[in-house]
Amino acid sequence: MNLKECYGALEGDYEDVLGRLRTEKLVQKFVLKFLNDKSYDLLCSSLEAEDYGEAFRAAHTIKGVCQNLSFTRLYESSHDLTEALRSGWSDAAAGLVERVKADYKQVTAAIEELQKGLEG
Amino acid sequence: MKDRMTRFLAVSAVGISLLCLVVFSFLAIYMNKQSSDTITKVGTIYMTGMNERISMHFTTTIEMRLFQVNALVEEHPSVGNSSDRQGLAYSAKARGFDYLAACSQDGEFEMFFGSSVKVTDPEPFLESLRNNEKKVAVGTDEDGNGIILMAVPAGYEMSDGQTSMALVAGLPSDYIKEVLFLDENDTLVYSHIIRKDGSFVIRSAGAFRNTYFQRLREIFKKGNADNAEKYVEELSLAMENNRSYSSIIDVGTERRHMYCDKLPYSEWYLVTIMPYGTLDETVGELNTQWGFMVTGSCSLVLLVLLIVFIRYFKLNRIQMAALDNARKEAVAANKAKSEFLSNMSHDIRTPMNAIVGMTAIASANLDDRERVRGCLRKITMSSKHLLGLINDVLDMSKIESGKMTLNLEQVSLREVMDSIVSIVQPQVRAKNQQFEVQIYDITSENVYCDSVRLNQVLLNLLSNAIKFTPENGAINIAMYQEDSPVGEGYVRDHIVVKDTGIGMSEEFCKKVFESFVREDNARVNKTEGTGLGMAITKYIVDAMKGTIEVQSKQGQGTEFHVTLDMERAEIEEMDMILPDWNMLVVDDDHLLCESTVASLKDIGIKADWTQDGESALIMVQQRHREHNDYQIILMDWKLPGIDGIETARRINRILKDDIPIILISAYDWNDIEKEAKEAGISGFISKPLFKSTLFYGLRQYMGRSTEKPVEKQEEQKERLGGYRVLLAEDNELNWEIASELLSAQGLKLDWAEDGRKCVDMFLHSEQGYYDAILMDIRMPVMTGYEASQTIRSMDRTDKDIPIIAMTADAFSEDIKKCLEYGMNAHVAKPIDIREVMRVLEKYIN
Repeated sequence: MNLKECYGALEGDYEDVLGRLRTEKLVQKFVLKFLNDKSYDLLCSSLEAEDYGEAFRAAHTIKGVCQNLSFTRLYESSHDLTEALRSGWSDAAAGLVERVKADYKQVTAAIEELQKGLEG
Repeated sequence: MKDRMTRFLAVSAVGISLLCLVVFSFLAIYMNKQSSDTITKVGTIYMTGMNERISMHFTTTIEMRLFQVNALVEEHPSVGNSSDRQGLAYSAKARGFDYLAACSQDGEFEMFFGSSVKVTDPEPFLESLRNNEKKVAVGTDEDGNGIILMAVPAGYEMSDGQTSMALVAGLPSDYIKEVLFLDENDTLVYSHIIRKDGSFVIRSAGAFRNTYFQRLREIFKKGNADNAEKYVEELSLAMENNRSYSSIIDVGTERRHMYCDKLPYSEWYLVTIMPYGTLDETVGELNTQWGFMVTGSCSLVLLVLLIVFIRYFKLNRIQMAALDNARKEAVAANKAKSEFLSNMSHDIRTPMNAIVGMTAIASANLDDRERVRGCLRKITMSSKHLLGLINDVLDMSKIESGKMTLNLEQVSLREVMDSIVSIVQPQVRAKNQQFEVQIYDITSENVYCDSVRLNQVLLNLLSNAIKFTPENGAINIAMYQEDSPVGEGYVRDHIVVKDTGIGMSEEFCKKVFESFVREDNARVNKTEGTGLGMAITKYIVDAMKGTIEVQSKQGQGTEFHVTLDMERAEIEEMDMILPDWNMLVVDDDHLLCESTVASLKDIGIKADWTQDGESALIMVQQRHREHNDYQIILMDWKLPGIDGIETARRINRILKDDIPIILISAYDWNDIEKEAKEAGISGFISKPLFKSTLFYGLRQYMGRSTEKPVEKQEEQKERLGGYRVLLAEDNELNWEIASELLSAQGLKLDWAEDGRKCVDMFLHSEQGYYDAILMDIRMPVMTGYEASQTIRSMDRTDKDIPIIAMTADAFSEDIKKCLEYGMNAHVAKPIDIREVMRVLEKYIN
């Protein structure tokens, strides 16, 4: 799986990210680094602790990272979650959390696939 | 002027000395005379007193004796019987008389006791007695002893029956002498008693002549006899008129004071003599002392005067010498100035030629925008240099008086070399000379230096090299750096300008740095110039505390070696990193190759090098076979064997896919551009090849390998290159992306992981260290809002630093809130580098 295919799998905008980061190498470097990003863990842990302020900030960060990397699908769900959490906890937010989790898994799965391909 | 001064001084000195001598001599003589006069006056007063005293003493003595005689007469009124006579004699003896007699009317003496006496001059004696007066006279006894006789009228019966006329008592004449101290040896004064005719009554002091007059004459015998007569006459006349007489007898060897006065009861005169010998000696001593004092004072005054004159004379000489020097200097300076002005045209002509020439080229190629731009660039450079030179002319007074100051500023050696190279290019081309620029081991491109002066030095050296090198000769300028012994913060720059020109004689090498010198030689007579250039060069290098050396051989060429210690510019050169391309450098100068490869390595490029076109072709073919082609080739134009353009043409034949071949040359690109383009050369980098030259020259080929065209943002990059930005962003991934993108624009970034860190980092930075802050809003610990607010309320000169918010919240109320908290602007995520750069540029500048 190459980078472009990876972007297809995680439903991101490859052309957009290449336009901003210029080189494939750079894009690849940052995409791989996404796996190490702690924002998602922070989101999960703060939700568990019912610290919705922190959860809002974590969701916001995920949204920012997704914007930078043009992970369109995860961006959209994290964006919605951010907006929902802005005004505190709600049932709608609970649904959005599930969506973000699903999308995040999709993204990480695609990146792990890419990583495997590169290592292999 | 000098002689006149000397003469004046000498005449004054002599004049004043003479005046001194005259005044002091006059004083000495006058005082001598005054003291002599005073002594005479004192002598007269003393003598008068002395004489009076002696005279009074005489009178008193005589009167006492006469009184005694009178008493005898009264006590013994008659001498009729023998007992009366005995009583009288007894009384007389008791009173100390040695002789006693009665005197008859006719002058016969009847002795009562003592041997019979005879009056020496009886006539006046008897005359007085007859007039019933008391009288004193001298006489002699039978043995011839001198006797003083005192007579008092008295009527005694005499043996012959007559009545006596007077009673006469006698004393030895020595008695008078004793009584009057006439013969005292312990006084200076001695006296005689004389009669009118000058005969001695009583003589003393060893006088043995019969009369005092004779004595006087005798005294004067050695001197002037007339003088003696004069004194005798005067003395006689005075005695005749019963006047006292006082006179100074000048005997030649000594002076004597004589005083003469009449004695009472007698026909006698008292003459008192005081020799001036001792007085004169004392006065003489005084005069001698006075003379010494005068001579001493005079000498002292003269000595002081002499010293003053000599000092003044010396000072004057020094002053005159200084004046003379100043005059010579003024003349020399004036000459230098006029010569400089007339010769300056040479230095002005070089850049002026470039301006005129480039203007002509630009006019002829108005449609070729690139070419016109190139011309304009060169015109600008030359104009700048011209302006600098004109400033030099205006500053000439400073140079002459050694007051030229250096304006140290941050200078890019790359820019200095670029500008020098482009100024001299037209001249090199005009003379068809080979021109080579070598740069190696450059550790600090940016240094503190006076760029105008450095330009002047380089231009002087280069234009001289060009001027004195015939057509087809070679000019070479090399620059390299090494650690400076001055200190850590300094770098030693070596600049070597070499040519294969006519060279200089050994003697001329020694004075090449003097003003207005040019070797007087038939070979150089046709060469224009003032000869001032090297003097200025030397002066500037000295002012920069550097050294300049020259090595030259006639007919073989000249080499100038300038060494300067420059302070490294503090601002670190920004990170210049390019993709790790494989590159090939082709240049015949192996030093340049090595240095360039080293520079390329610094900016992340692996490069091979070779020294000629043929081997380059072999290497390219080799790589091509290995499917590991060079991605960029740097190619020198002038190469031994096949030249750079031909090599490029052949490489392009081997490699079908057009890789960038970039020409490197110190020559003007415009001249070879057409030919080079046709040969498939993609670009041109002008020598000298500094690291930054390579970086900026190669960066535009970045992205070709990714087959994605890169937008040219070069201008923007250069505008913001080196600025330092503080980026507050809590997410590492976002930070890395931002860092990657912004660093590529030449910005230097520091990362603050949250708002608190951002505030701390800013607080602990030097004033003005950061040029801008990019601020994420949603951060743990402290939000971007609070951080901005804190920074704005700091007590720092740079608290107004541009703060630009970066956030994924793109709602207008977010933007509004950012501005409310003191931020300057807002950019939305994801980072759009063009937008960020646009905003940064707006606020930084």
